[in-house]
Amino acid sequence: MKKTATIILNRNLPKETSLLVDQLIKDNNNYTDVYVVEGGSDKNNLSKYCSWHVNSKEVVEHGMRYLRGMNYGLLKLWESEDWKKYDSFFLITNDTKFPNKQNTIKILRELLEEYPRVGLISPCSKNWGERDLIGDNSIKYFWFIHNNAYFFRKELVEQLINTDNPTYMNFFFDGNNFRGYLSESEIIAKTYANDWSAAITTRVFSEEEESYLMDKNQLIKTESYEENLKLYVEEGLKWVKIKYGFNNRWQMMQYSKLFYEKFFEYYPKEKINKI
Amino acid sequence: MRLQQRLENFRQDKNCTLLGVGPMSKNCVDASIELAEQYKTPIMLIASRRQIDSEQFGGGYVENWTTEQFADYVNGKDINKNIILARDHGGPWQNELEKSQNMNLKDAMQSAKDSYRADIDAGFHMLHIDPSVDIHSKPDAAQTLERVYELYDFCWTYAKQKNQDIIFEIGTEEQSGSNNSKEELEFTLESMKNFCNTNKMPFPSFIVIQAGTRVMETENVGSFESPVRIKDELPPEIQIPQMIDICNKYGIFMKEHNTDYLSTESLKWQPRLGIHAANIAPEFGVAETRAFISVLKNNGCIDLLDEFITLSYKSKKWEKWMLKDTMSDDVDRAIIAGHYVFSSDEFIELKSKADNKIKGIDLYLKNKVKESIFRYMNAFNLT
Repeated sequence: MKKTATIILNRNLPKETSLLVDQLIKDNNNYTDVYVVEGGSDKNNLSKYCSWHVNSKEVVEHGMRYLRGMNYGLLKLWESEDWKKYDSFFLITNDTKFPNKQNTIKILRELLEEYPRVGLISPCSKNWGERDLIGDNSIKYFWFIHNNAYFFRKELVEQLINTDNPTYMNFFFDGNNFRGYLSESEIIAKTYANDWSAAITTRVFSEEEESYLMDKNQLIKTESYEENLKLYVEEGLKWVKIKYGFNNRWQMMQYSKLFYEKFFEYYPKEKINKI
Repeated sequence: MRLQQRLENFRQDKNCTLLGVGPMSKNCVDASIELAEQYKTPIMLIASRRQIDSEQFGGGYVENWTTEQFADYVNGKDINKNIILARDHGGPWQNELEKSQNMNLKDAMQSAKDSYRADIDAGFHMLHIDPSVDIHSKPDAAQTLERVYELYDFCWTYAKQKNQDIIFEIGTEEQSGSNNSKEELEFTLESMKNFCNTNKMPFPSFIVIQAGTRVMETENVGSFESPVRIKDELPPEIQIPQMIDICNKYGIFMKEHNTDYLSTESLKWQPRLGIHAANIAPEFGVAETRAFISVLKNNGCIDLLDEFITLSYKSKKWEKWMLKDTMSDDVDRAIIAGHYVFSSDEFIELKSKADNKIKGIDLYLKNKVKESIFRYMNAFNLT
């Protein structure tokens, strides 16, 4: 049976990362292999589950962030024989929290089987307004999903990866958008443009532990929460302007919604999951 | 042409977002009338019951005007009838008197009807039926709808008797309102459709939708401009298109409240997102207060400035606008509360002293409010 490759990005929080890996293995052992990308962590701050330690000068100084970190992990797998072992990828940051004893990956895998046109699924959060829209124990397709826990079908990933001189800057996500503001809309637009849907499910939940960035930013060796937020928006808007000529988030929203609406023209049976 | 048709045609021609301006002061009213005339555009003057109410309730804090006086003033100046006189958040317990007298439901509903009757008598064109406030209990969706029906029926019947063309707005922007989710909105609109069809009344023209805008202090702290999630709220990227689709399906305009202080870039997106109308109020009062402070400062009237700041601060009208972890000082608070004291005897005296020292003070203040309103008109494709 093929498995899911779970890739976790860590930077200088070994204890927290190891606890997350322990929980994932405990609750999902038969369904996933877990890989940890250390994005410029200090040598004495590596998780015991470290798979790859990226320690170039730039990465040590600035970190990798979600897009570059996930590109790195995916590329490493693609370059190895291991790529063949997997049929899906779960890409999460180390501040992701799952409820105890939740068989997250098993359930997400089941959803991919049950919904063959779903290319990407995000677990819902107990604190999201989308929860009411989706209903209990259900799934709906969205044109906008703001999260750091995405479960990808391998077929979709293989349609999107860049195999021409791939690096951690360009393999799957666009690493030029360092902090990733608006990049989630780009990947969702690409998902629908390639005849897949992007879903949120309430069958499993995940939460973002914001306190890591708020209280442990010095330990992580990154900017303060406020500074990070400011740069996140500034850099994202600059990126979207250069790449698409868009000037704000609403243009990006309309762009991904355009492909969302088209998708249902081609796959009318999927309308049952349209919001 | 009937008002509903006129607004529909206007929106279709201009692909615009219609503008609702809170009549925060006489200068704000004048600024709206002049801009509406200059750009030949309809502007809704959206008077809350605290701002303007009938004589029975002692008028409101804006110019101490009663409903009739306010309507007479506007009608006297608005020669080409660009202004739409609108009641904002009419309904039981929406006036301080109904709260302070601890009125029961029956009396508060009667009181609201009296206020609406005065609106219709004064020639108001648009009535917002909002019975979401209840000082004794929290009405559920069905109870709220029953109250809407009763007030709607009263207003429509009375306006018909007077052969007056009125349109309606329903809903509330409160988080506890009945139209935040898709299902609740459809339920409200479907129920209204049945009610209006059964009773041969016109369907409401506007419904208030929570679109991620919320005003605190002098900023918009809602999710519309927030790059991160707000707990338990739908991201506006999802909420707004969904709500607009439903409104378009039912042929009703979506009205956004609390649109103050959004960036110009965000405002430009209101018509593009298909938001049919938006209300702005405190920002215009704050614009005038800031202008007044600046003119006193620039002309060396420091004593008057201190007097104004103290008067405004002591009014405590800033209280409901403050953020929990506010960093605002006393002057910031006075700026938030300034327009609430414009009609007090103390302010009138203070202003008269300023008038004696500074020429053309009201023209300056009006122009500053105009600049503030124009930012919205321009972004909303109304110019």
